[in-house]
Amino acid sequence: MHIQAEGTAIKPVRLFRINTGSCNGCDVELAVTSAVTEFDVEQLNCRYTESAHEADIVLVTGPLTVRAREEVLRLYAETPREKVTVAVGVCPVSGGVFRGSYAVDGPLERYLPVDVNIPGCPPRPQALLAGIREALEIRHARHEGGEPKRAPGDRKQSDTDNFPARGRLSFDAGACVDCRMCRHVCAAGAIRFEEGENGVRLTLWHNSCVFCGLCSYYCPTGALSVTGDWRLDHPAAHTFRQVERGEVPYAPCAGCGEPIIPAAPQLLHDAFRRPNPDIERLKSLCPACRQQMSIGVPRR
Amino acid sequence: MTTKIIELGPHQLALEEPMYFRVQLDGDRVADLDVLPGQVHRGMEHLVMRRNFYQNITLLERLCSLCSNSHPSTFCAAVEEVAGIAIPERAEYLRAVADEIKRIASHLFCCAVQANVIGETALFRRVMEVREIMQRAKEAIYGNRMDLAANVIGGVRYDLSAEGAAFLARQMEAMKQPLDELYLQYGNNPALLVRMAGVGVLPREAALEYAVVGPVARGCGIDYDVRKKSPYCAYDRLEFEVAVQEAGDVRARNLVRLAEARQSVSLIEQCLKGLPRGPVCADTLPEIPAGEAIAKSEAPRGELMYYLRTDGSDMPVRLKWRVPSYMNWDALKVMLKGEPVANIPLIVNSIDPCIACTDR
Repeated sequence: MHIQAEGTAIKPVRLFRINTGSCNGCDVELAVTSAVTEFDVEQLNCRYTESAHEADIVLVTGPLTVRAREEVLRLYAETPREKVTVAVGVCPVSGGVFRGSYAVDGPLERYLPVDVNIPGCPPRPQALLAGIREALEIRHARHEGGEPKRAPGDRKQSDTDNFPARGRLSFDAGACVDCRMCRHVCAAGAIRFEEGENGVRLTLWHNSCVFCGLCSYYCPTGALSVTGDWRLDHPAAHTFRQVERGEVPYAPCAGCGEPIIPAAPQLLHDAFRRPNPDIERLKSLCPACRQQMSIGVPRR
Repeated sequence: MTTKIIELGPHQLALEEPMYFRVQLDGDRVADLDVLPGQVHRGMEHLVMRRNFYQNITLLERLCSLCSNSHPSTFCAAVEEVAGIAIPERAEYLRAVADEIKRIASHLFCCAVQANVIGETALFRRVMEVREIMQRAKEAIYGNRMDLAANVIGGVRYDLSAEGAAFLARQMEAMKQPLDELYLQYGNNPALLVRMAGVGVLPREAALEYAVVGPVARGCGIDYDVRKKSPYCAYDRLEFEVAVQEAGDVRARNLVRLAEARQSVSLIEQCLKGLPRGPVCADTLPEIPAGEAIAKSEAPRGELMYYLRTDGSDMPVRLKWRVPSYMNWDALKVMLKGEPVANIPLIVNSIDPCIACTDR
């Protein structure tokens, strides 16, 4: 301990990258953290290395293709036992948009232990630095023993950051009309609908979402919106807690009492601009009762 | 003379992507090489036939993140051709803006990596800092620094407000002087000349034979640019000259890239000036009938072709690509022949190989 304290220069932490078949987005952004002063990993006392056996932190990108697997595992086996593994981008965690392909063999966790996830597609350099910082905390805790500590207020995004980055999706159940267009357009399969007893539940997985915002673009009522919250790095043990959820409650049909999803006010506004009382009444009726009310008989 | 076979991978070649070569050496010179592809094969052809047209926009944007805008915009062009959709004029200009922004960033990344390969670290950092101007512009306008998510079927899904256009114009102004300076550096700096001039030469005849495209072809004096030969988007209304160099070496390819980056600045300025008013998208949810179409565009690495066949359902029944790096990396055989081993990383990076595109 004393020897370490007397040392003048602190030994930098070595970062080693493994590309498991990525689209190169994450890799290019990682290159930025070695070249651009503002995002340089040197500010965290880290440095990149090209030798696997020097790795203190391993940064893995890509969905782990079948073809790359052998080489990836060989490289990983060359890294020291004491290391922290970081999954960069959503691909190593869930496969991202490439999920379900015969050529993709992820998630990475099937083959090696992951410590930290940095969701994003690709994560911006600020998010990469935040994730690397998290890995450093884990590394420190392992050396010292005990839980990784997070500095208070660390989660807060800096005020100087004025670029409106696409981040985490947010769901407003009150505006959802259960049309499921969001799920239809989602390339990564990040959105799931489940019909429960009291309503329809939406679950959106941040570890699958690629933040393309197409769900929000096609959402007719603005129930899904892109937030600027890009700070999503988390310990891999919390992978399945990274979700956005909401329940659209059923309401009884004003005519027959059948449980229905009532039309959201936003949808009525878009369709009618200023809904009159008749339209307001229609919104709480099921399709059969609506037909009954407007044409007198239920359509056969 | 001893003959030896070595294998080189991404960590030896300073590549961002896993690409492997088997190189046959005569002494310390390259005699022949084989590309060992496939590490980035993600089964795209299979995936696109299992995703609907909307999902494919996002999926294809991630086919490769360096040419990420060229893929969805060319795919959308093919879908629009099948469906007979004419996109609004404003969308044509906005697509060109997104394409050119990506082109500048992509070209600069390629030039930066090459500087790093030859040990010019200060220049590497300088080019990456200049590229950051573009990265900031992308993030401010589109919300992501790599995958812009600019395209939808029927047009684009972003608009430039007066404020946004003014911001972009300021960023473009900030690019001019650094780009001019970099052009002079890559053209005349003795430290770069000694490593790049006369190195990795691809003669014009070989370039034609291998059918190389993009800056690799234009660096050999082949005047081929899809934006001029078969204009799409707004390119028939924009003024620019195809950047051509004659030498066919590493230096020539970089000068083509830097000249194009400078031209892209002018193209974006022209778009901002001539941006027509009106909607940015034709119809949000068009019907896509059965049919087939070919669409092509000039991606940062060269001509990109899409073939699409549909059957009236909401998924493609066939989607095929011809990506620029496919022909370009085959021509590496010619460029590397007789070169010393130490030049391999530089020459490989000088064609700006996109493995993600080519392995798919």
